[in-house]
Formats: sequence, structure tokens, C-alpha cells
Amino acid sequence: MTDRTRIALLLAPALLLLGGLFLSGLGLTLLRSFRYFPALGLTEPDLGAYAAILTSPGFLRSLGLSLWIASASTVLAAILALVAALLLRQSFPGRALISFLVQLNLTIPHVVGAIGILYLLSQSGAFARLAHAAGLIAGPADFPVLVNDPFAIGIILLYVWKEVPFIALILLANLQTLGEDHESVARSLGATRWQAFRHVLLPMLAPGLAAASALVFAFAFGAYEVPLILGQHAPKALPVLAWQAWTDTDLATRPEAMAMSIVIAAIGLALLALVARAVRQGGE
Amino acid sequence: MTRLTLKGLAKRYAGAGQAALHGLDLTVASGSLTALLGPSGSGKTTTMKLIAGLIAPDAGDIRLDDRSIRDLPPERRGVAMVFQNPLLFPHLTVAGNVGFGLRMRGLAPDRIAASVAAMLARVRLSDLADRRPAQLSGGQAQRVALARALVLRPEVLLLDEPLSSLDATLRDEMRGLIRDLQRETGITTLVVTHDQAEAVALADRIALLLDGRLVQHDRPEAFYRRPASEAVARFFGGVNFLPGKARGGRFDCALGALDLAPGLPEGPGLLTIRPEAIRLGPGPNPLPARVQAVTFLGTQTRVDLGVEGFALQALVAPEAGLPLSPGQEVTVSLPPSALWLLPRPEGAA
Repeated sequence: MTDRTRIALLLAPALLLLGGLFLSGLGLTLLRSFRYFPALGLTEPDLGAYAAILTSPGFLRSLGLSLWIASASTVLAAILALVAALLLRQSFPGRALISFLVQLNLTIPHVVGAIGILYLLSQSGAFARLAHAAGLIAGPADFPVLVNDPFAIGIILLYVWKEVPFIALILLANLQTLGEDHESVARSLGATRWQAFRHVLLPMLAPGLAAASALVFAFAFGAYEVPLILGQHAPKALPVLAWQAWTDTDLATRPEAMAMSIVIAAIGLALLALVARAVRQGGE
Repeated sequence: MTRLTLKGLAKRYAGAGQAALHGLDLTVASGSLTALLGPSGSGKTTTMKLIAGLIAPDAGDIRLDDRSIRDLPPERRGVAMVFQNPLLFPHLTVAGNVGFGLRMRGLAPDRIAASVAAMLARVRLSDLADRRPAQLSGGQAQRVALARALVLRPEVLLLDEPLSSLDATLRDEMRGLIRDLQRETGITTLVVTHDQAEAVALADRIALLLDGRLVQHDRPEAFYRRPASEAVARFFGGVNFLPGKARGGRFDCALGALDLAPGLPEGPGLLTIRPEAIRLGPGPNPLPARVQAVTFLGTQTRVDLGVEGFALQALVAPEAGLPLSPGQEVTVSLPPSALWLLPRPEGAA
């Protein structure tokens, strides 16, 4: 058996799963989004569904909201993760414990976290009750609106809390591989501590940070359950809107749901491709 | 030109039983190229990092001329260090790497570009200015690392095993380049190496460090002709040691009374002679010997000899050794000028 056939055989299960489930699902979604749906009597593909959603103010507001949620969550999570990784790189008493705590919430499902946020931060939640007991607020209406709010603060908080450890772990692995020698060189060449970070360490971490952030962005942009629980009634985040259109009793809205899904996937993929390209160019 | 002085420099790493460095005193003459030589684990790299300010000493002082730099951060010491690996910044071009330190100082871009271009020309890398580090060979990368430090015109340049990552041909070339650049610039340079041949070929002065202590600081030839101790002699390839006693210009030992050169101390001691100083054939201090083994080493031939039940090793020109065969009786002579007396090792009678 040649190396090439061995590699092909070893990869086959993963490729089958990817091709069979993911790609054929995506292909079917693509067909439906072009209004090709023989069961409903739609046999002439066209761009009607895309035209309909792109001219609908509701869709555009949802798109804007989802972009806001994903961008804000990603930027905040990336900054906090960078700080956490740099702190956790140093050795100090209790580091192992803090490391463990940081990683712990990776194992908590998003839905569970979302319900937790709801219990803690809603106007009738635990923090509001504490504030009331302490005499800080007179009633639930005085507590700031942090969930189901127009700025999606609850959603963003949850994503930041969940994704900081994810990005931080990738950065920590990077930091371990890089070691401190490049920074030492920079210092001995006259760079201050800050310059060594800004001009040497940060650029060297950038590819890993960008890749991890892109994954977080794509996830926050496309995930459905968190904005369903913590989001406002209108506008809804894009995945929630798509799900609603898909489960609508009017089967004619299904192509629009598919078109929305394709838009979500396309934006995520475009972002990942951009990051991959930037990382490749930076490494040359 | 700057003199570098280390005074009582000591360092013990947290958790390590043995100190890495026990109170090192060393003066590196202004404008000299000094090798800090020692086996691995002898505290050489620790010394470099202390001078560069990358770690802090437990005790002692580091001075440039009369100014202490002990408490200054690395970037304000006027000391540049080149590490064992080139450690180029992968996200910068060759020119970007060489200009890094100048950029950190906030120099104007056109001045940086001019200095970088001149430096790259000097290390013959002008053609590669726009390359990324990943596209360089090991020798090229090491030259960039050297240029990156030299372009700053540091008061003191530290080189940590700069040749060890290179293969033999590149090593010769790099050694020549370091020597030439050091002579041109006159920058006080301290180079760490574990290889005594490299230290001899490269440096004006050698400081030998054994077990965290400076055991001899001298010109390279002194380590062969006048080693300070048996350990020093052995580090430089010394193999012949005879215990005995010096009296009235002669040395009494198992081989009889040997004539010494004038000026050597009297009393008990350890006589040593370099293997390459032993002559085959009659001469001063002649001794009857039996050939035990003959080993061809390329540029030399090693002859193991038995003299009065005592083993001596001689290194001779290849053609002088090859006609010999084991068991053969020969006469060897030990020129008095090549005999050197060492203090008796501690614990010996």
C-alpha cells in the first residue's frame, strides 16, 4: 500500500461524514434557497428568496444585530483572552487553580450558561433582588435592562464568558511554543517591555489570535440558542429569524429561511478565508 | 571603547541546589574580543544573561567603565546580545530585523534605512534585505542576527555560542566575519563557547570557567604553555601528568630527574607536558620508551608510550609516527622549555 492510499483510507471516515452530512446538507440548503423545492411544486430555480430577504427591513435589522453581537463579543473576548493568557503564562502561587477555573466553563453548554445569565441578570433576577435587598433599587424596573435588551448585552456577556477561555487556551499553547527568547532578544536590542510586547510578541501571536477570533465570530454570528433565550422579540438575531421562517406554518417561507442560512454560512466562510489568507501572507 | 567589569557576580536559580555562578570576578579589557570558555553547565550563559540584564544577580556588580549597570533594565544598558539560535523576528523582513533596535530608539526612517543598508552590505546580505527569516539558510540567519546587534553600535557585544548551530564550512566563515567586524568596530566583545579550539581561534583573551568559577584568564597560548591547574590543562587536551618534586632546577619523579627551564617554583608539584611537545628521538631529557599503540588521526599521529611503567601520550607529525609499531623500543625526549609545573592536586601527598 502506498503512503498516498493509506492516507486516503485513514481520512475516508472523516471525509465521508463531512461530505455525506455537512456538504450534502449545505447543497440541499443551497438548492432550496434557489426556490428549487419539487415537493412544493417549485421546479424553476430563481433568486426570489434572496431578493425577498435582502429587501426586507426586518432581515436587514436582524443582520445588523447579529453582526453587532458577533463583533462585540469577539473583540471583547479576544482582548480579555490576551490579557488572561499573558497573566497565566507567568508563574505565581495558585496559577494551576486559576488555570483550571478558566478552563472549567469550556465544558458548560451555551444553553445552560444562557439560562444562568437569565437568572442572574434579568430585572427580576438574583442580582436585582440583591440590589433591592441592599436598598439600591426600589423595584425590578429600576434594575438596568441587561437581558432581552436592545443592545444584546446579555448575549454578548455570555459569549465573552464562554469564549475567553477558548481563545486564551489557544494563545497559551502558542506562548508555550514561542518561549520568551524572542522577547529577550528584543529587550537586549533596546526594546522596552512594552515595545517587546507590541512589536515582537503581539505580531507573533497574531495568527493564532486571528484564527481563534474568526472561529468565535463565526460561532457567535451563526448560533441560535443563546439569542433565542437572551435576545429581544424584535429585531431577532439572524439565526433565530431563519429558524422562525423555517418553522413557519406557511411552507412558502422555507426558501427564505434557506437563503438566510446561506447568507450566515457565506459570511462565516468569507471571514475564515480572509483570516487564513492574512495569516498565510503574514507568514511568508 | 568600554571596559566591562564583573565583581563578585553570583546567581543561584530558584529550586537549584548548586549556585550557577559563585562570585565571578572578571575584567574584559576595552576593545578586546574575549572568550568565556567552559563546559556546559559551568555558568557561561547565566553570566551573559546577567550582563544583558535578562536575569538579576543575587550579589555582585556589573560595570561598564566606572558606571554600574546592575540595576538598569536591559534596554538601557548599552549591551547587545546575540543568542545561540538566530531568533529572528519571523514577521519582519531581513531589513526589518536589522533595523529593529534603531526603530525602537525612535530614529528617523531614512537614517534607519541608511544604517541598515550599510550593515547588510558589510555582512554581504544586501540581496536578501526583503526576504523573510523563514527563507534564509542557517548561516544567513546567524549573520542577520549579528548584524541586528552590531548596527546598534553597543558598548558591549555578547555572543552566546554564535557558531554552534552552523556546519564546519560556515563556522570558519562566520568566525572570520566576527573577528573582522570586531577589529573594525573595536566593540568590547564577550563570546561564550564550550569549544576550546573555537575560543583559541577566535579570541584575544580566554576566561575559563569551571563549575561557576573563573579558573584562568589569559592569552590563548598560555592555556597550553602555562595552565593554572590540572583541570585547566585537561580541558585543553593535556594528558601527561607526573607527580614529583622540583629542586635546584630539576624535577624528581618516577622517570628520574628531569631538567627544568629556569624560573619554575620549587617544591612538590605536578609536571605536565603537552603531547605535541614530546619528541621522538634523542634530545634533552632523553628517556627509553616502549611504543604501546599508534593511532593515525589525519593531521597528526598519536603514539601511546610506556616509560618506566608510566604512560605518556605523544602527538607527532603523521609521517614521524607511522613507521612505528607496538612493542618497538624508542628514545623520547622532553624539552625543558615545554615542561610546566602545576600545583599538586588537593588531597595528594
